[in-house]
Amino acid sequence: MSFDLNQLIKGKVWKFGDSIETDAINPYYRYPTMEELKQHTMEAYRPEFPKEVKPGDIVVAGRNFGCGSSRPGLVLREVGVAAVVVESVARLFLRNNISRAIPIFMAPGITQIVNDGEVLEVDYPAGIVRNSRTGASVTMRKFPPMIEQIFKAGGLPEFARARYEAELAKQAGSAR
Amino acid sequence: MAMTMAEKLFSRHNLDGTPVVAGDILTARIDGAMCHYHAAEPMMEAAEQAGFKGGLPRVWDPDRVFVLLDHHQPALSQSLADSNAAVRREVERLGITCFHDAEPGISHQMMADYGLMRPGELVVGNDSHTISYGAINSGGIGITRADMFYVLLFGELWFQVPTSLKVVLNGRQPNYPIAKDIILYLAGLYGDDFAGSMSIEYSGTLVPQLSIDSRMCLSAHGVEVGAKLALFPYDDKTREFMKSRTDKPYEPLVADADAKYEKEIVLNVDDMPFMVAKPHQFGNVGPVSESAGVKINQAQIGSCANGRFEDIEIAARLLDGRRVAKGVRLLISPASQQVYLQCLKAGLIEKLVAAGAHVITPGCGICQPKVGFISDKEVCITATTRNFKGRKGSIHADIYLGGPLTVVAAAVAGKIMDPREVFSEL
Repeated sequence: MSFDLNQLIKGKVWKFGDSIETDAINPYYRYPTMEELKQHTMEAYRPEFPKEVKPGDIVVAGRNFGCGSSRPGLVLREVGVAAVVVESVARLFLRNNISRAIPIFMAPGITQIVNDGEVLEVDYPAGIVRNSRTGASVTMRKFPPMIEQIFKAGGLPEFARARYEAELAKQAGSAR
Repeated sequence: MAMTMAEKLFSRHNLDGTPVVAGDILTARIDGAMCHYHAAEPMMEAAEQAGFKGGLPRVWDPDRVFVLLDHHQPALSQSLADSNAAVRREVERLGITCFHDAEPGISHQMMADYGLMRPGELVVGNDSHTISYGAINSGGIGITRADMFYVLLFGELWFQVPTSLKVVLNGRQPNYPIAKDIILYLAGLYGDDFAGSMSIEYSGTLVPQLSIDSRMCLSAHGVEVGAKLALFPYDDKTREFMKSRTDKPYEPLVADADAKYEKEIVLNVDDMPFMVAKPHQFGNVGPVSESAGVKINQAQIGSCANGRFEDIEIAARLLDGRRVAKGVRLLISPASQQVYLQCLKAGLIEKLVAAGAHVITPGCGICQPKVGFISDKEVCITATTRNFKGRKGSIHADIYLGGPLTVVAAAVAGKIMDPREVFSEL
């Protein structure tokens, strides 16, 4: 699924602490199906989250978000989370979001400018994350062009297919 | 230009053929791709997602893809049996030559047992603990399943060259393993992301004394402190380890003397106490005395961090003639069949069983629970990889991490104690 980084995202904030790990996000070994996961994601930190999260909400967290395993956070998209905005992110979680084209933004200082339940605006083209109520904002890190292309393609498997088909077409062309 | 091990690794594997330095983004040529139990996903689901009808159309090099069904062997449920069967079909269809199927064990340990990664190589795996290959000077990097899809098709992947962190370990190796205590100590001091996205390079006077087993524990735990790579220098121990495992040539990574490091950490292990991570984060660390007296229900030794010979040897040595405390479940799981066999031949298993330990089939089962779930309010101390909430089942249980010595002391005492107070011979 292609993700347009240039779209503005605005949503209600669910705020979490530091080092939220993939066992909490994706406890697949207790809940092996997506339907079960949706009912339990993040409950280790906030039991009400899976029950009350609404499509369009934004997850804000501290440093080292998604530490732990290489498991993806697809379930957050499945429950409707529109974006994850964090102080810093563990490298495998970041790679997962890039390779699945799921919006994640690194905005140092984010936890200082927004409280749980407030509305946050994510403006990637401007490189800014803003608290709608207070107007306070922090800058986010922009992705290198290659990563932006992966988001545009809809993820790394889609990116791979485009390359594979281009190679096939080239081979067919040269065979003729 | 002076380079770190990481810069050399990526320069050597840069598809463009030019040298790269920390911060550069490149497409790298992959030497080996390790797919474990989630192998089915890159092969099938991601293929479907990308619109490849009939699955992944090829693998770039069937001899460079290693599939090891580790987490779910033997299958503990119908759905896992079905997913294992799906992987078998895909492996056959794609002509993958290296498939460890009907063999229980942890993929990373089997990769080492069978010499499937070598010093100086860039080996990726769709498991976070792939970083453990750094123990033998191999560039092991954990990637995601969707990344693996790209690797399987093209044998290439994008990376950013990491900055490097020099960790200097000085001191003397006692006659028991201390690798877990070292990494916990560092995580306690500097936080659970002190090496975030960096390459750790180990050096110092302790390093030549560290066994390959201990190096693997330290390298595996690189991911618990956020690292991309956790590399040990190539030395006589690495050469000896590789000698019986591969006859293919390899070129070790050697850092230049004046290479540039983002930071440097020095630790002298001689005065280091036994360390314990308390619930529920890897960086929530204190000396064992801080947790002394906590009653335990379960104790465990195993995983890609602590399921090796030296971890099991110290348990057997200290349990010889002793008993596990009444009501405590001590689970010990060798990391692979090869490790299990080594333990059997050394007479360790008999001592463990006589003392009342459960010996569990090699694999990931006791770490990411397939066996040995714990209940609400129970307490587990474990020499495995992680102590996150729910990692052993209930999110209302407490998990402590410690080295094998600290775990076996707790198993005998029935509560967390300084091993020196439990075992007078130490």
